[in-house]
Amino acid sequence: MSDFSIKINGSEVKANKDQTILNLLTDRPDQVPHVCYHPSLGPIETCDTCIVKVNGEFVRACSTILNDGDEVDTNSDEVKEAQVIGMDRILLNHELYCTVCDYNNGGCEIHNTVKEMKINHQSIPFDHKPYEVDHSNPFYRYDPDQCILCGRCVEACQDVQVTETLSIDWDRERPRVIWDKDVPINESSCVSCGHCSTVCPCNAMMEKGMEGEAGYMTGINRETLRPMIEITKNVETGYGSILAISDMEAAMREQRIKKTKTVCTYCGVGCSFDVWTKGREILKVEPQIDAPANGISTCVKGKFGWDFVNSEERLTKPLIREGDSFREASWEEALNLIASKFTEIKQKHGSQALSFISSSKCTNEESYLMQKLARGVIGTNNIDNCSRYCQTPATMGLFRTVGHGGDSGSIKDIEKSELIIIIGSNTAESHPVLATRVKRSHKLRGQKLIVADLRKHEMADRADLFIQPKAGSDLVWLSAVTKYILDQGWADQEFLNNHVNGLEEFKQNLEKFTLEYAVEATGLSQETLIHIAETIHQSKSACVLWAMGVTQHRGGSDTSTAISNLLLVTGNYGRPGVGSYPLRGHNNVQGASDFGSMPDRLPSYEKVTDEKVRAKYEQAWGVKIPEEPGLNNHEMVAGIHDGHVKAMYLKGEDMGIVDSNINYVHDAYEKLDFFVVQDLFLTITAQFADVVLPASPSLEKEGTFTNTERRIQRLYQVMEPLGDSKPDWQIIQDIANRLGGNWNYTHPSDIMDEAAQLAPLFAGVSYERLEGYKSLQWPVAPDGTDTPILFTDGFPFEDRKAKLYPVDWTEPIEFGEEYDIHVNNGRLLEHFHEGNMTYKSEGITSKTPNTFLEISHELAEERGIKDGTLVRLTSPYGSVKVHCLITDRVKGKEVYLPMNDSGEAAINLLTSSYADKDTDTPAYKETSAKLEILQEEGANPLPKTNFRYGNPQPQIGVAVEKKWARKDYIFPGDAVKKERNQHG
Amino acid sequence: MAKAIKNVHKLSVSEEEQRTKDLREVEDALIKNKQAIMQTLEIMNHMQDKGILSLLNGLFGQGDKVLDIAVKAMDKPENTNTIKNLLLLLGTLGMINVKQLEPFLLKIDAGIARVAEYKDTDEKTGYFDLVKSLKDPEINRAITILMQFLKGMGQDTEPFEKTVQDTPKKRTNQTKDKTLENNEKRS
Repeated sequence: MSDFSIKINGSEVKANKDQTILNLLTDRPDQVPHVCYHPSLGPIETCDTCIVKVNGEFVRACSTILNDGDEVDTNSDEVKEAQVIGMDRILLNHELYCTVCDYNNGGCEIHNTVKEMKINHQSIPFDHKPYEVDHSNPFYRYDPDQCILCGRCVEACQDVQVTETLSIDWDRERPRVIWDKDVPINESSCVSCGHCSTVCPCNAMMEKGMEGEAGYMTGINRETLRPMIEITKNVETGYGSILAISDMEAAMREQRIKKTKTVCTYCGVGCSFDVWTKGREILKVEPQIDAPANGISTCVKGKFGWDFVNSEERLTKPLIREGDSFREASWEEALNLIASKFTEIKQKHGSQALSFISSSKCTNEESYLMQKLARGVIGTNNIDNCSRYCQTPATMGLFRTVGHGGDSGSIKDIEKSELIIIIGSNTAESHPVLATRVKRSHKLRGQKLIVADLRKHEMADRADLFIQPKAGSDLVWLSAVTKYILDQGWADQEFLNNHVNGLEEFKQNLEKFTLEYAVEATGLSQETLIHIAETIHQSKSACVLWAMGVTQHRGGSDTSTAISNLLLVTGNYGRPGVGSYPLRGHNNVQGASDFGSMPDRLPSYEKVTDEKVRAKYEQAWGVKIPEEPGLNNHEMVAGIHDGHVKAMYLKGEDMGIVDSNINYVHDAYEKLDFFVVQDLFLTITAQFADVVLPASPSLEKEGTFTNTERRIQRLYQVMEPLGDSKPDWQIIQDIANRLGGNWNYTHPSDIMDEAAQLAPLFAGVSYERLEGYKSLQWPVAPDGTDTPILFTDGFPFEDRKAKLYPVDWTEPIEFGEEYDIHVNNGRLLEHFHEGNMTYKSEGITSKTPNTFLEISHELAEERGIKDGTLVRLTSPYGSVKVHCLITDRVKGKEVYLPMNDSGEAAINLLTSSYADKDTDTPAYKETSAKLEILQEEGANPLPKTNFRYGNPQPQIGVAVEKKWARKDYIFPGDAVKKERNQHG
Repeated sequence: MAKAIKNVHKLSVSEEEQRTKDLREVEDALIKNKQAIMQTLEIMNHMQDKGILSLLNGLFGQGDKVLDIAVKAMDKPENTNTIKNLLLLLGTLGMINVKQLEPFLLKIDAGIARVAEYKDTDEKTGYFDLVKSLKDPEINRAITILMQFLKGMGQDTEPFEKTVQDTPKKRTNQTKDKTLENNEKRS
């Protein structure tokens, strides 16, 4: 499809409207050089190497849009001359010592462009800048001397990550990148997301893992290196020979640096990237433009948080409890013990006395095998996974209304929506990369943003409208807004007529949700509620993003349902840029349930109670599957207390710290006859086990994960399992086979093939179709067609219509007057959950060594609390001891306790066993406590190097206009013209 | 009642056991790579004889120091100049077209052979002899060749020189087919 034709160097070429010259040229033989342009960042216009002539005028190819009939000149002398001037200016700022440079891995844009332009010398010699290297950040360093001021890092920081820390100070004699208002990196608002080092075209901004490690000669002492660079420069006979040698060296590096694609395990966004390793040593994480969910984006955990893989604390051998200690044992002994105990308990108490908990950190294949072990080998449906702790209510709400329990579209739909409503989600910290897409669209495209939360977190700070309804009252304002929209006649009547059932009954139930009632229940004003309704009405597309602030309540499923109802009424389903987005918290929360680790559902969410479905599996597995749904996590713990659950096999979940009311959970563990825990570390949970099995993390195995977009992605093995640890799928198979399972999977793809045959949602999934960065969003048809946007041809119910599902408000639990502090809780950006993995990173630990209690200024003043004051919070279920941090992120008597502690400050010592009435997901967010001061003076729990103290400096991009306005700047095109004129 | 415990007794392998295991591993590796190892030993023997092993030992043992000294020594003007000259000469050699040079060299060789035959004589050549000898086809050809050579030598080579700072305009590029190409001449 082309819109018009133009001429390039005299020959006719088809071009499209809105296409830049550079874009057009990428597929053509007439290439222009370019350094600062990056496909994911767009034109930055700083490097001036892509200059061409259009209709006789010099322009930058990266930013010039083509018009009908344009005549483009890319190779005349004048054009080449202008390009070379651009390159010369870059080389003034960058010393070419490629062979001893850690960035000499074939991807250096400067190296490659110098080579491509066949430059042999520079006319203005390299000149050092008067700045020291900034080594202060634990993860990356900035060398101003090598920085060519292309501004890619600034562009990424300002407009992709949108943390808005970096800028180039164009006013100095020698400009450089600065952090905030020019402070050391480690004292700035930098969140260490790694975007800057990922997009840097050279070695200026570099991951510390690469330093002195990547090259054969880069590990040389600094004192020796300098003269070496001088020698290289002194003997240079033109760049040609230097580049040839460094190319050879770069090729040699391929021999020992392995680059493996993997998928991040830290949240549900599903970032994929290459991991660079030298043996077991991780040099860096390199995101790829092709990565479907994240592109070039990462957060601090995905980019820099992998030290746990090589931690000395990793379990390397099975452990068997013996008296009051564990002893290391052989696999043979451990597996035999498990087999004999499971058999014994099954014989004595029946299959239902055993329970299985699968992990949302493990692969789809491992989830499938775990439920197959429970159902097919042991004969029980007592199988669940830890999404029970977070997102099951959202799935329930979507099953009730639209029929598929997953995000309606992709992250790209969130990006392009006109209106984003975020409810109960600290997206910038819990789903950092997904949040960047909202922040970017909001900043650059005028996307509207409404945030409903208790805390004034980053998204709230950025919102056009930030509302703070009373804790647990979201269902009320959502329903009132829905009612108001219907009353005003703003509903999408056509959509409702054609695609939705149950409107009348729904309307009736809505009667009680008047504005007056909502004002009373939520504390929001009528104007605010009307404003929300108007905003939704005026937006052509809307997405609702929600997380634990909605689901972890007693009415979590109902509130999720109310969200979906609102979207149905306004016609925000079944097209691009709209829909419901329950943000999945772990890498494979989605997949763990998708592949059947649920007590009432088999893979693909087919019901255990459905005879036909059971028959299908019974035939395939050659066993009988019990027809009654099994116990969920919550019921398993209760079952242990009751005495009818005797054994548990749990993998990849520190349930003993992340389940609510952990004192009660720990008591249960103590009552188990036999407890098997499979994990990387001797976690709090594992400490209660009879047998602990050493598992391998994602980097040591193959498999697939499914992210929040329903996107199935493959991970490849980066390194061998540590010690005697094993991938979970192998361990499960070993156990199954000792119990007579007779399984014979030689590779995870065998497991996927079996699942794909049985589970309709994944019918067309195969490892071939998922190769490299390829991915599939379920449902996947047998021919491999996937579904990036759900419901475009109706809803998966019998008449293809969605259902409006009436729901009522469940008021939050009252703990009694003495418990006057509302304890909100959740994640931090830099730690994953309790921190079993992230505390193994020295860098993360240095910036966030422990948890802290966020306290409002009002409460601090009232109680005489300072930064660092040690307090005790006590709920009816337990108490925590924690140091305070005063902040304006919380207000009044609401405090926030992040969950990154597994000791005395572990939040779940306070939480109750109350749960969502429909799914048993713990009501973590309904927690109150009383507060007492233990010690008034104490060290501030948050080091000054934490980004939360930073001072961001928002601007659009790199502000290249300031560069152009400098007295010493002359556009290379003008320079060429001037010279030509002088010479006549 | 299974209380939480943290103590772990490491599977202690006795020193003797570990040694046996390690030895076994080494033995396996030796057998698997028998041929390569035998040959390596032979090479090492030669290196021992020639004193290379002890030289390398000293070099690697004091690696950082040696490298530092070497690098600093190299970083002296006369030394960097040597390397530079070498690189330049290499580059120049690369430019010579041996195909063209071959007949020229053969001719020089023939000339030398003739000179060797003649030895020293008292024979003198006068102006007329010179003019007369132009008629000798062999001599005539030699002089024509020499004159062409002188013409080539007189050409302006500045744009091709690697040793001077260039400007974008004068820049000379080495193209893929290893011939020089000049921006000024290129249209």
